[in-house]
Amino acid sequence: MSENPTSSQVAEVAIIGAGPSGLTAATRLTKAGLKPVVFDLNAAPGGQVYRQVESPQADLRVTGIDYRLGQRVVEAFRRARVDYRPDSRVWWVQRVDAGFELGVLHEGRSAVWRARRLILCHGAMERPFPFPGWQLPGVMTAGAAQILLKQGGLLPEDAPILVGSGPLIYLLGWQYLQAGHPPTCILDLTPRLQWRLPLRQPGKAWHARGYLFKGLKMMLALKRAGVAIERDIEALEAIGDKVLEQIRYRQRGHWKQRPASLLLSHVGVMPETHLTRSLGLTHRWHAEQQSFLPVRDDTLSADENLWVVGDGAAIGGAVNAMREGTLSALEVIASYHGLTKKERHERDGLRRERARDLCARQLLDAMFLPSLNIDAMPEETIICRCEALTRGDLDQAISDGAEGPNQLKAFTRCGMGPCQGRQCSLNATLLLSRRLAQTPDQIGQWQIRPPVQTITLGELATSSMVENRVT
Amino acid sequence: MFRRLPETASDSAEVTLWVDGEPQQVGATLSVAAALLQQRGWAEYRLHHDGTPRAPLCMMGVCHDCLITIDGEPNRQGCLVIVKDGMRIETQMPAAQPTPGASTG
Amino acid sequence: MRQDFFIVGGGVVGMAIAYGLARAGQGVTVLDADDTAFRASRGNAGLTWVQGKGVGMPSYAEISLDSVQAWPSFALELQQRTGLELEYEQRGGVDLCLDEEEAHARRTEYRELQAQSERLRRDFHWEYLDREQLLPFLPGLGERVAGGTWSPHDGHCNPLYLLRALHAACRRLGVDIRQATPVENLARTESGFRATLRESHVEAERCIVAAGLGAKRLAPQLGLSGDVFPLRGQMLITERMPRVEQLPTPQIRQTATGGYLIGDTHERVGHDKGVTLPMLQTLADKAVRIFPFLRSTRLVRAWAALRVMTPDGYPLYERSLTHPGAYNVNCHSGITLAAFHADGLAQAILDDRIHTHFSQFSGARFHVPSTP
Ligand SMILES: Cc1cc2nc3c(=O)[nH]c(=O)nc-3n(C[C@H](O)[C@H](O)[C@H](O)COP(=O)(O)OP(=O)(O)OC[C@H]3O[C@@H](n4cnc5c(N)ncnc54)[C@H](O)[C@@H]3O)c2cc1C
Ligand SMILES: Cc1cc2nc3c(=O)[nH]c(=O)nc-3n(C[C@H](O)[C@H](O)[C@H](O)COP(=O)(O)OP(=O)(O)OC[C@H]3O[C@@H](n4cnc5c(N)ncnc54)[C@H](O)[C@@H]3O)c2cc1C
Ligand code: FES
Repeated sequence: MSENPTSSQVAEVAIIGAGPSGLTAATRLTKAGLKPVVFDLNAAPGGQVYRQVESPQADLRVTGIDYRLGQRVVEAFRRARVDYRPDSRVWWVQRVDAGFELGVLHEGRSAVWRARRLILCHGAMERPFPFPGWQLPGVMTAGAAQILLKQGGLLPEDAPILVGSGPLIYLLGWQYLQAGHPPTCILDLTPRLQWRLPLRQPGKAWHARGYLFKGLKMMLALKRAGVAIERDIEALEAIGDKVLEQIRYRQRGHWKQRPASLLLSHVGVMPETHLTRSLGLTHRWHAEQQSFLPVRDDTLSADENLWVVGDGAAIGGAVNAMREGTLSALEVIASYHGLTKKERHERDGLRRERARDLCARQLLDAMFLPSLNIDAMPEETIICRCEALTRGDLDQAISDGAEGPNQLKAFTRCGMGPCQGRQCSLNATLLLSRRLAQTPDQIGQWQIRPPVQTITLGELATSSMVENRVT
Repeated sequence: MFRRLPETASDSAEVTLWVDGEPQQVGATLSVAAALLQQRGWAEYRLHHDGTPRAPLCMMGVCHDCLITIDGEPNRQGCLVIVKDGMRIETQMPAAQPTPGASTG
Repeated sequence: MRQDFFIVGGGVVGMAIAYGLARAGQGVTVLDADDTAFRASRGNAGLTWVQGKGVGMPSYAEISLDSVQAWPSFALELQQRTGLELEYEQRGGVDLCLDEEEAHARRTEYRELQAQSERLRRDFHWEYLDREQLLPFLPGLGERVAGGTWSPHDGHCNPLYLLRALHAACRRLGVDIRQATPVENLARTESGFRATLRESHVEAERCIVAAGLGAKRLAPQLGLSGDVFPLRGQMLITERMPRVEQLPTPQIRQTATGGYLIGDTHERVGHDKGVTLPMLQTLADKAVRIFPFLRSTRLVRAWAALRVMTPDGYPLYERSLTHPGAYNVNCHSGITLAAFHADGLAQAILDDRIHTHFSQFSGARFHVPSTP
């Protein structure tokens, strides 16, 4: 049926994701006269960082000034009149001889798209952070709480406890403070030694000074407002019958307990690799980012006619995502008709800025390296939330002979629930890596299976391809 | 529970949702899951197949812990669907799913 | 210490035989390839099924029948040894016929099969039921299904847990299982056999090639038949649904955890275990035709696996003529046959009488002019 020309729609360049990287890529391509099509599962442009930026639900004083930059990017995108398809989930992606085949679900109907060139701008997700009780209602991620704030100006009724490491913890605490509702305390899981890294790496610290000062400013504001910042946390538990009631943590060898209604956890973000793994791209373990990253060349290309940019490729933040978006657009333009002198100049400048920023990023990665190891979690800790499998269940299967991620998945159903392993795949690999004394690269990750996003049998059965075939 | 910032509450549009048969006024920009967290909190959101209570974790489509019945369709990701006026929501305590008797399509 | 046997292949076929031999007191080493190797045992439908087997070779239907009869005690023993629940059930099954033409062909086929074997006439029970008659066994069955053949012998299990239980039981019985240890070559030594590995080698008195598709290259090295080829099957599984009293079918069945398993395609596409959009849609179409209530049910996973297929589709069991002590065991339907492999077949290998008891299954059949 692929021969039937009416059965699929065709895009010159397809872009998945309308966050900072996808928006800039599309805008730049359009400026050069190309006609990209942008798919995003959200209802409005902006991605994770600039969610709801067109009709902010919270004062910019609360969300922070960076939001302005987002407004400018979205405005430029709107002005460019790109073929933008919100509320469109890319549930299927496959390489076909002449490019890529995408399955896109919109309002309960699936359409098939063909594109010669593809730019993946699908962004990051928060690193899954299992600890006993993390499945209890009342435990959410800090990112989720921030989404509630951006999407609808929602604040927790009672002051929450924040736990984890990484800039987002302090950013969220500060945002709540700006809104007049600071958290009760922050349990900072960053090992103390790592805070001193900037002093030991002054060169990198210089490049990272913007981020560092911003972080320091937020931390000081929180301290001044009386938010307790606890460090040297060695273990953590959420306790409750039907909802979270208490948290327990070990600090410098002593267990402490606090009542809690809402615990917001976060240990950094990592690329969401379902699309890149579905396409069979090579991924390498990146020790500083503690994640698997798709391998790209200097042109941000991961394969022929395929570019992966923004936080879906490696964590670099919003500004870097925009640079990479524009860079990928320039590479696509180059692949059509080469670059003018001016465009080459533009590209080289962006590459230099990117290199400088990546240098800063290395320091941030090292500073916020998460400290709680998966194999040290008590055996009742749930690793696979969908199938409710614990660390002990996985260890039992490993001792039955599951000596690789695919075999472990088969032996336990780990990763076979609706989230398709997004919450457990990395931790399953890390556990195997510890138990078998091999590197995460040697262990690898289990094979990704379609669909990339949820689709019902009815939507799959009545998709436009089938209907076109019938008529 | 969550509540809205005073300035948001005063100047943004609202729609009516029917949650387990009860009408609720919620902000028009919210996802179904966000609206529920605001109106009802995270208790009694959903029962998992192992009988444990669950509620949204990530709010961005990753965890599938926000599954909820929207306009009669069970197990939709509540965090990815924006509310619409007149939408019917059923919390899944326990899961309400189509069984052979329910429909013959 | 030299082992009695080494077995190449740690799928359900190799492991079932290893289990049978180890239970009989033999020293066994299993050599298995990497985590990403082709492994039909990790991608199949989990049916323990007699219907449709052996049309053209009644002895295949007979061993399938033997195997499903041995399955209940096989499953029980594995569960007792390992504590693992196989989700095994044998309450009968239905092979659906979507239209009248298919229904007619099916009935003719089964009658012909029974005409060829006294045993099957006596012991293979089946009945054709139309849609109305099927409804109590398959509530919600769609109107666009003609009917199906019902048989009490059919059942299903969780094939992944079967694989795990075989691994776990073998470990407990002292089988030396070596994973990520692909065999590069097989050869005879003065007093047995040698498997050459990447960096070392393993020896044993006798050896069994149960390497699935890997047999194509390895089996001929010991004068065994390498007549296996990959036949791709794509499958779908849905999210968990409330459990319904119903019988399994090869087209669709509800697993013990509640998901509906939808299968499967037959495609000769070489060593490609990718899934394709048209086939996923065909499977989804079929699923909602059979059970319309599944329309709003979410697909959780689609995958493909490669069947280990012989030219006629029947098993390949043989002893090497040129290298006595070397055996070949390759087949489709390794789940159904697992109980037989662990018992009757392992015993026949142990007693070295596979060539007398199961001569019809030798690869020699592919190298003589076939008779209709
Ligand atoms: C929860 C969370 C909160 C964050 N908060 C901040 C913050 O406050 N400040 C900050 O600087 N950084 C934040 N980040 C980091 C963020 O990754 C980057 O700042 C920036 O958003 C990355 O831009 P991007 O274009 O790479 O991807 P994103 O902005 O993540 O955009 C990707 C887009 O692709 C869409 N998408 C993904 N897969 C599909 C698919 N299959 N089909 C259709 N659409 C798809 C997504 O819905 C999303 O809209 C946050 C990250 C996360 C995960
Ligand atoms: C889609 C599909 C559905 C099916 N449904 C059913 C069903 O419902 N019921 C049923 O009974 N059967 C079914 N089958 C068939 C069944 O899955 C197979 O018959 C069975 O799994 C074969 O097991 P095996 O051990 O021979 O092969 P495999 O599982 O393929 O294992 C072969 C093993 O050999 C190893 N190997 C290969 N080469 C080497 C080497 N050089 N060195 C070391 N090791 C090596 C591999 O690592 C692998 O572990 C189905 C198959 C498919 C594909
Ligand atoms: S809350 Fe995680 S998917 Fe909806």
